[in-house]
Amino acid sequence: MPDLVPAIEAKPAAALPGSPRAFLRVAAATTAAAALIVAGPWVLDTYAVNLLVRAFFVAIAALTVDVLWGVSGTLTFGQSAFFGIGGYALAIVFSQFGFGPGEALLALTAAVGVAGVVAGLVGWLSFYPGSTPLYASVISLVLPIVVVQILYSGGTFTGSSSGLVGFESFDLSLENWFRLSGLAMIATLLVMWIVLRSDAGRVLGAMRDNDERCSYLGIDTARVRIGLLVVAALIAALAGFGYVGFGAVAAPENAGFVFGTQLVVMVALGGRGSLIGAVIGAIVIELASAYLSSSLPFVWELIVGVAFVVVIVVLPGGLLGGLRDLAGVVRRRVAATPAPVAAPVMLRTVQRPAAAPDCNDVVVEVSDLSKHFGSLSVLSKISFKARQGELVSLVGPNGAGKTTLIRCLADGRERSDGSVRIAGHSIERLSADRIVGLGLGRKFQAASVFETLSVADCLRVARVRNERPSFIEASPVLALPAASRAVVESSGLIERLGEEARFLSHGLKQALELAMVLALEPQVLLLDEPTAGLTRAERQGFADILTALVARDRLCVLIIEHDLDFVRLISSRIIVLHQGRIALDGSVAEVVDAPLVREIYTGRPVSDAGGASA
Amino acid sequence: MTAMLELTELTSGYGSSPVVHGVSLQIAPGEIFALVGKNGMGKSSLLKTILSFLPAWGGTVRINGVDATDLPPHRKRALGLAYAPQEQALFQDLSVRDNLRLGLTGDRSFEARLADVSGWFPVLTARLSQRAGTLSGGEQKMLIVARGLIAEPRLLLLDEVTEGLQPSVVDRLSEVLATTRRERGTAMLVVEQHLPFVLGLADRFAVFKRGEVVDTGTVEPDSAARIDEHMRL
Amino acid sequence: MITLVLDIITTAAILFIVAAGLLIVFGVMKIVNFAHASFITVGAYAALVTSRFGLPPVLAPLVAFLAGGLLGAATERIVVRRLYRRPLDAILATWGLGIVIGQLVTLAFGREVQFVPTPISGTLALLGVDYSLYRLLLVPAALIIAGLFAGLMNGTRLGLSTRAVIMNENLAQGLGIDSTRVRLITFGIGCGLAAAAGALITPLASVDPNMGLAWLIGAFMLVMVSGGSLLTLGLSCFVLGGLQVVASTFISPILGGLTIAVLAAVALRLRPQGFARA
Repeated sequence: MPDLVPAIEAKPAAALPGSPRAFLRVAAATTAAAALIVAGPWVLDTYAVNLLVRAFFVAIAALTVDVLWGVSGTLTFGQSAFFGIGGYALAIVFSQFGFGPGEALLALTAAVGVAGVVAGLVGWLSFYPGSTPLYASVISLVLPIVVVQILYSGGTFTGSSSGLVGFESFDLSLENWFRLSGLAMIATLLVMWIVLRSDAGRVLGAMRDNDERCSYLGIDTARVRIGLLVVAALIAALAGFGYVGFGAVAAPENAGFVFGTQLVVMVALGGRGSLIGAVIGAIVIELASAYLSSSLPFVWELIVGVAFVVVIVVLPGGLLGGLRDLAGVVRRRVAATPAPVAAPVMLRTVQRPAAAPDCNDVVVEVSDLSKHFGSLSVLSKISFKARQGELVSLVGPNGAGKTTLIRCLADGRERSDGSVRIAGHSIERLSADRIVGLGLGRKFQAASVFETLSVADCLRVARVRNERPSFIEASPVLALPAASRAVVESSGLIERLGEEARFLSHGLKQALELAMVLALEPQVLLLDEPTAGLTRAERQGFADILTALVARDRLCVLIIEHDLDFVRLISSRIIVLHQGRIALDGSVAEVVDAPLVREIYTGRPVSDAGGASA
Repeated sequence: MTAMLELTELTSGYGSSPVVHGVSLQIAPGEIFALVGKNGMGKSSLLKTILSFLPAWGGTVRINGVDATDLPPHRKRALGLAYAPQEQALFQDLSVRDNLRLGLTGDRSFEARLADVSGWFPVLTARLSQRAGTLSGGEQKMLIVARGLIAEPRLLLLDEVTEGLQPSVVDRLSEVLATTRRERGTAMLVVEQHLPFVLGLADRFAVFKRGEVVDTGTVEPDSAARIDEHMRL
Repeated sequence: MITLVLDIITTAAILFIVAAGLLIVFGVMKIVNFAHASFITVGAYAALVTSRFGLPPVLAPLVAFLAGGLLGAATERIVVRRLYRRPLDAILATWGLGIVIGQLVTLAFGREVQFVPTPISGTLALLGVDYSLYRLLLVPAALIIAGLFAGLMNGTRLGLSTRAVIMNENLAQGLGIDSTRVRLITFGIGCGLAAAAGALITPLASVDPNMGLAWLIGAFMLVMVSGGSLLTLGLSCFVLGGLQVVASTFISPILGGLTIAVLAAVALRLRPQGFARA
């Protein structure tokens, strides 16, 4: 029977995602916007309507850029290529085969099909373990150039540099094109908003904030990014399809690098990451360009350029970000009460069968592990076993290889030689996210969380691996395993569930990261200097948690620590690393007073087997 | 007499985590001061704060009377400060000669200074054109110290300079530093875990634990035992 | 055949001259200066101005260098300096700067295509072929630029400081090197070099406000592949430039224009940090 505990009272002033009030507000806004769209053509003149149809399609393309860049953190110049593919698919089919329902269907299929395949290819090329954001941006830069060159070399098939004109297209009235494009834009905005606010959508923001942490929570970020790119490409292609279908002209500029950069400019000026900002940016710039470029020919582009530079350097949130900051300042002046913070979030404990109290199966098995960089040997012939219910401390001077060892356990591609088995499975050359699936959780030395996500959302993302999140709902219930929940409650995080992680103190961030890692329900927990920077009280609390995890939940905990008092307090076993080898491996009593350890720590030169330098 | 280095309630840290908690100490001109303590206790962070690589959250750093708390790192040299870091202390791809040249602000007096270097560590002047990365660990440490001394600093900061060295090299370093202090009045702040080396060299010491000074005093015969108590496992 | 070889060599030289400034900025400051294209344009217009004032054409690259250098230093001081921790935003901001500079040039000179008279016209009979003399002279020009730069880096104190900053900025600062000043000077030189390149290529192409753009992507990809080493840049220009010439000649000029970008992207996938150490 799930145990529902209201974590905090619902704060009425907040209308936040997931709460009914938020949906009402959005529904109202959407209906109003839709009404405006429907009524628009009766109020606006033909020229404006014409411009706006194009602007709406461009806004849809800008939305895809915002999802990729503002929300997920991949700067892309290449969405124009998919826009152009969609448009040219229509133009080519209609030029070659004429216009008709069958041809329209063919064109649509071609647009979507080609865009999807190209996006898959580009995604595979750009996103792979070890790729950098810069490289992904480089590829996104090259893509529209390649597409445009292909168009140039296509002869009459693609119209070369003049593009394709004179083909028959959809026979809608101007007013209905307006409504179609406007409603399509609103629909896209709405769907994106819903998905990004859902539990699954949180993952995108998490990837933008801290890609590595996502991998270590078991999320295959490369695959997510490729999937996202394909979806974005399809949407952009459909927008291009509409654009060219409306104008009955397909030009290479629609697919080019300059247009791709303009989309980025629109998103930046409007406010990256806000979705609405992309729409506003696109519409404003499209309209202003049309109206102003005749009266202020070169000055308009100059203004845009200057505004763009100013925004990037000084106002990264764009227009919307600036307005939001302003609203925040005004609100703080006007209202004495602090801004509303939290959405009501209810904690629930995930029920799991309790671990057998004396369970002590071997869950970590390391044989002959070595790591070297060229001729420099960092770890050699490391072998040990660790069991459930053991708390093993890894100690040793700086440069002994402790963090390297942790890395080699958590990521199959790190080690040079030797084997590692986690919970009975060899890690081979598996990537970190796959090893998480074997039952490993790694906590980093510097608290590695998602800065712009709320505490509750950070924990939600940590549960993604174990519970498939909804793409529609933002659930008000947060289900955590008992150990994770215990950390949340004992550390005081339970009162800050709605706060963004970046406002937490160092100690609380460490607790949050621990709770996130425990949310994975790991069998093996790797901790890297977890007490650095904690107060005495925090350290004691931490020691209590660890001891309980080991004794009650039968976890196997490997902890790197410098604070030897702490080590003595909590460990059942100590492994001493020195110059890349295990110097000692034994119980606390055996190791603590060993003369070798004293020598290692006081730095007196040791006549060691590794061969001292000089 | 103005202290060569004066720290008053100096506090700093990484992100939101404090690592140096209100440290106060003074080093007189020509004095050798030992800062001892276990790994990870914040000694290197203290040095980085003195040099402004880590911004100070509170407190002051005065170098020879001048308030240097917020001075950018590259201006500390002009105050007579030299620094021998623990990690990444050399340009591995530059020659020994170029690394030494960078110890001075200009090349004018370089050749004259080379004579000093050959007096301290003859092995270095024999390998001037070799890439620093190809030197042995001990030779690299010697190079780091030589580069620090070559500018005739008023205050030299040394971070774990004996790490991984053979006894003979440690002795040579000790000699060179003692002689330099005697002949040129160079003050030194020596961060070390190697007690015999540093206690044989220093006038005063402080024990650093979790970002704070927990004990301090003049170096006496019983200092080693006193420090050991703090370093106990 | 000889013509093809000469085409390859001169194309490599031109690519090198154009990309060198971008490489210098990337190598020292680890950011990509997307305003590079507009500095090429500035240099081309500087050459235009030089010829209008009746000055000897050989001064054009120098005038361009000065103009580009000063403008570059100013932009570093005002804009680029704030973006060192945000390399992707640096690409965007410098792109915006490029737009601004391009528009200012357009306002000053108009949108029309202009022509700068070739300072040295005619051909040289070389190995049985008549080849454009000006193109051939760009080869020694490229070598001179490379030589000057190597001399600066290896023979001067400033060069030593710059190399120190490239290798380890923190350590350099700890040794008293004002890395902010080094960056300012580097950015100025990089932009100056871009402008000089612009002045040098004007006789080969027309001058219009968007001319720099065509060179930007190719230069950028070459810099990425070269990983920060001037020597590797030279080699990349030779190999990729050569392949571009071959593709343009034997397959199609349009697809030839793709060669550098596509091959560089593939090369980077195999070795993301570039080939400087290879």
